[in-house]
Amino acid sequence: MAYLELHGLEVSFDGFKAVNGLDLAVERGELRCLLGANGAGKSTTLDLICGRTQPTGGRILLDGQDITSAPEYRRARHGVGRKFQVPSVFRELTVRENLEVAHSRHPGPARTIRLFPGIRLDRRIAEVLEIVELADELDTRAAFLSHGQTQWLEIAMLLVQDSALILMDEPTAGMTIQETGKTSRIFQRLRGRHTLIVVEHDMGFVREIAETITVLHQGKRLSEGSIRQVEEDPKVREAYLGSGGISHA
Amino acid sequence: MSKSTLSRSKPYAQLAAYLLFCAVILAVPSFVTDAFLLNKFARYLALGLAAAALALSWGYAGILNLGQGVSFGIGAYAIAMHLKLKTSPVHTGSAGLPDFMVWNNLDHLPWFWQPFHSSLFAVAAGILAPVVVALLLGSFMFRARIAGVYVAIITLAMLAVVNLLFIDQQAYTGGFNGITDLAWLEAGSVTFDPYSPAFYYLSAGALSLCLLLGLAFTRSKAGLILQAIRNDADRVRFFGYDVAAYQSLAFAVSAGMAGLAGMLYAMVLEFASPTFMGVPLSLSMVIWAAVGGRGSLLGAAIGAILVNFMQGSLSESFLDTWQLILGGMFILVVVFLPNGLSSLIGILADRLTRPARQTPDTALAALSEAPRAGRTPS
Ligand SMILES: Nc1ncnc2c1ncn2[C@@H]1O[C@H](COP(=O)(O)OP(=O)(O)O)[C@@H](O)[C@H]1O
Ligand SMILES: [Mg+2]
Repeated sequence: MAYLELHGLEVSFDGFKAVNGLDLAVERGELRCLLGANGAGKSTTLDLICGRTQPTGGRILLDGQDITSAPEYRRARHGVGRKFQVPSVFRELTVRENLEVAHSRHPGPARTIRLFPGIRLDRRIAEVLEIVELADELDTRAAFLSHGQTQWLEIAMLLVQDSALILMDEPTAGMTIQETGKTSRIFQRLRGRHTLIVVEHDMGFVREIAETITVLHQGKRLSEGSIRQVEEDPKVREAYLGSGGISHA
Repeated sequence: MSKSTLSRSKPYAQLAAYLLFCAVILAVPSFVTDAFLLNKFARYLALGLAAAALALSWGYAGILNLGQGVSFGIGAYAIAMHLKLKTSPVHTGSAGLPDFMVWNNLDHLPWFWQPFHSSLFAVAAGILAPVVVALLLGSFMFRARIAGVYVAIITLAMLAVVNLLFIDQQAYTGGFNGITDLAWLEAGSVTFDPYSPAFYYLSAGALSLCLLLGLAFTRSKAGLILQAIRNDADRVRFFGYDVAAYQSLAFAVSAGMAGLAGMLYAMVLEFASPTFMGVPLSLSMVIWAAVGGRGSLLGAAIGAILVNFMQGSLSESFLDTWQLILGGMFILVVVFLPNGLSSLIGILADRLTRPARQTPDTALAALSEAPRAGRTPS
């Protein structure tokens, strides 16, 4: 049994099936890339896994447990972490406070009411700050960060959250080549220890990090395999006919 | 500089401000000996506590409770029931029934009045009954993910319902008149005559205690999560926090504080009335909190005390104009100081401490190999 399994997953928005009978199995420690044209249902698939959207059919199993109808916070406690396509941080809070919220090993109010986040940083938070180079912005409100920094802050929050399964929606969108390179190095460090599902458009980035790729098309799995296998798959070629193949999706 | 940045980077300044305020209100009887003035001040402190309670739910958790009067009123009635029973033999003879029950042809004390013979029970009920009501209403609202203006509407509707209920159940609540002619609270050998320094100390002590506990609550990680929820509730869920539980918690803690405020208010006025649950008073509390600064419990309390102090210093004939002034003040503050008067202190403190703090900063920068970036633009 794989770590994450989707069985015939389906969601319908007013009759339109954004995800339509999707089957997917991701092993523990795997780094899986989701590819597909705009509107293929990639973000919606991540929404279904993390609980932002409720499926209208099918099942989601995480580590053998059925989480299909569990509320978001329970899934998060089961180890699901999510980075959104539009960077999503707490804009009114400082970088430090954002990271403190992300540090959610003990999420119950009975516990947090007795915790007093001090000036001293938790070791894990300090480590992550080094990686994402936000140490100088600790007391800056997130609203004042640049787009790139906001992107990094959300990645930092996921690293601090330390989820077993991390869902990344277009993590390198809007990043410079250097930043993309850095993101790729972070992912290399995460692989093995965490299970990652990454939605990405940048094929260069995908080539660097991917082992297995799943191609979505109209809410279904079109193809799956290594980059080479996927690129040579006639179904993929057909679906992307005219756009010059998946590399230009 | 934003209030959250301020509150976290200057923890000791914040604590000092709270302690200073507590010291000031506790010192008042050393300078004021006039009984009527002390009574007046005690009343302002009770209203300050109600506003601080509102700041906790509104300012920190983003729950705009327009029905603060529900908790405030329940607290007031709980203590009034006890203090009424203490007067009963005097007012109604051996039957021991409160006067309004006699007028309503009741021949024995209703069962739910019985335990209010105990002062301990009454005080506990005045705090815990609002907490339970808030937990019930809160878990209903927040599990259903009702937020923003809908919370305001529901709490306002709740206020109207509870107010009507108390007016309607005349035989048990005294109806329109409420519960009047109350005795004084006694604890051990102390009698809390509302015109005595003892009563003033009770009010000031209650407010101080609530402010300090509230400060601890808001500065705890739970307080931080509440601010994150106010900012983006959905995002908080994906970190594993049960948002509804946190919102219910803030709502309930606020209700408990408001219940205590209501108890003090009933004791200081020596009656409990359905007007305590009226819409005007609850809306006034919102204005006090907004004027003082809903982002700070202390700010909201000071806002309530200041506004009521100004109102109390005016003559009766001036009260209509006063409503205008109050409305104007509200608009001015909301437009020019969205975080209330207390943010003014933050802005001033920032101005004053900036040069002082730059000295060690530059000294450090000169010593260290890699000087840190300049001040953040917040
Ligand atoms: N909440 C929603 N309501 C209606 N339609 C939606 C909703 N979310 C997504 N969709 C539609 O579902 C399809 C898949 O969207 P999405 O998963 O965001 O695609 P992508 O693969 O580009 O991430 C799109 O056609 C989108 O318009
Ligand atoms: Mg998308």
